[in-house]
Amino acid sequence: MKADRPLAPVPPTAGRTLDAQLHLMDRQVLDRDGVPVTTADDLELSGPALDTELEPGTPAPVLTALLTGPVLGTRIFGGRPPSTRLIRIPWKDVADVGIVIRLGVSGENLDAGWVERWIRDKIIARIPGGRHDPR
Amino acid sequence: MKRLLGVALGVLTAIGGFVDIGDLVTNAVVGSRFGMSLVWVVAAGVVGICLFANMSGRVAAASGRATFEVIRERLGPRAGLANLAASFLINLMTVAAEIGGIALALQLASSVHYLLWIPVAALAVWLVIWRVKFSVMENVTGLLGLTLIVFAVALFLLKPDWGFLAGQALAPAVPAEETVSSYWYYAIALFGAAMTPYEVFFFSSGAVEEGWKVKDLVQSRINVLVGFPLGGLLSVAIAGCAAVVLLPAGIAVTSLSQVILPVAEGAGKVGLAFVLVGVVAATFGAALETTLSSGYTLAQFFGWSWGKFRRPAQAARFHLSMIICLIVGLAVLATGVDPVLVTEYSVVFSAIALPLTYLPILIVSNDPQYMGEHVNGRSVNVMAMIYLVIILVASLAAIPLMIVTGAGS
Repeated sequence: MKADRPLAPVPPTAGRTLDAQLHLMDRQVLDRDGVPVTTADDLELSGPALDTELEPGTPAPVLTALLTGPVLGTRIFGGRPPSTRLIRIPWKDVADVGIVIRLGVSGENLDAGWVERWIRDKIIARIPGGRHDPR
Repeated sequence: MKRLLGVALGVLTAIGGFVDIGDLVTNAVVGSRFGMSLVWVVAAGVVGICLFANMSGRVAAASGRATFEVIRERLGPRAGLANLAASFLINLMTVAAEIGGIALALQLASSVHYLLWIPVAALAVWLVIWRVKFSVMENVTGLLGLTLIVFAVALFLLKPDWGFLAGQALAPAVPAEETVSSYWYYAIALFGAAMTPYEVFFFSSGAVEEGWKVKDLVQSRINVLVGFPLGGLLSVAIAGCAAVVLLPAGIAVTSLSQVILPVAEGAGKVGLAFVLVGVVAATFGAALETTLSSGYTLAQFFGWSWGKFRRPAQAARFHLSMIICLIVGLAVLATGVDPVLVTEYSVVFSAIALPLTYLPILIVSNDPQYMGEHVNGRSVNVMAMIYLVIILVASLAAIPLMIVTGAGS
């Protein structure tokens, strides 16, 4: 990226400006019913690919998804998981960003919940009392 | 009236829940070797835990966020993970120590070897976590733990020379037969026992479990500011009993039976019965708190669904991780390692890990996005900064002192 090439201007934004590092990364993600789904381990941005020359007027990248899964390990220890191993929560499912990130959908059908569901169905729910309401 | 009862109950459970195996063992060891000359450390530790428990409770009530969510968010994944690893391992060690403590107390009550009691104790801990309502669990163990007041009763019945004890406490000096380095080593151990980080994890997660709102803060403040200092007095009574009976006899505490020996001498068989109930209740309560804390820290770091207010099936990874922790704790104890020794190490390692827990809480409790109008006041911040320095010094000095003193021996 060279300085003399004009980049596309920052698109006019309506509403709040979010700092990805401060307001999104490592925030707790809750589903529609307030049940924790995961923590936002990383973010996925739309193109352009790394190390490509930017044409003048290229549109700014857009946040497409919150990521979770193995990406936490690579974020801590370095490297990058293959994109097939990323677990995505599409940005369009996000309803609100505050102290937590709230989704507008139920966590029950999200890919991000599969480990929780597997452990629930194969182990915890099979132990007597696993579905007992403590209250 | 109902509100008053609630406050009384909260204070009583805070007193009963303050003492755990770490406090029992460390205070008795210190009393039997240094007399009352380290009482000032208990006082300092109690002020510190009041300060930071209050802060984490306020964060939880104002934002609904428990401590480890906050740690991950503020420190980022790398430092957060390092913190998780340290806190979690120390917590696991404490789980093992508490379960060992239950088993040792049951051995004293029943003459059945403690290794046989360990699986029973672990299973009982798991069953309570699996089935029992959070508030019931808290109140029952807390109230039964109050029987440890028998330490204070025994101290009175022993008719000690109060002036001599007060003199030791108010003008602390290193006893002639002990070295300066082991004095400071035990000062750090005592500080770690009073301020153990799991108490903060548990306190803040408990606030979320019980759905505290800002209006409940007054009650939680009373619980902490009245209950913890009275719990600290219990700690001092344990040290006092040891100082009166064991120090003159030249017995240095290495087992749980020696911890409760002064009670038997001062208050007889009835006292012994009370103290056994108290020790079982206190260690059982703390085993619950530490086991839950290991689940809380993991779940909050990774963003899993957690909480005893949910059905186990709705917090599957949380419950599975606690089951695994209990099994690991069992495996550690099954090697035959002395639970009292595990306890002595766990309180020192707790002291080492203190800054990791308390710094992020201090940062977030000053963040208006989380706290709104409930950010720290200036005086709280000044106190907290002073404590942070003390905590940091204790943390840095712990390992060199451990090496120099051969872990206090």
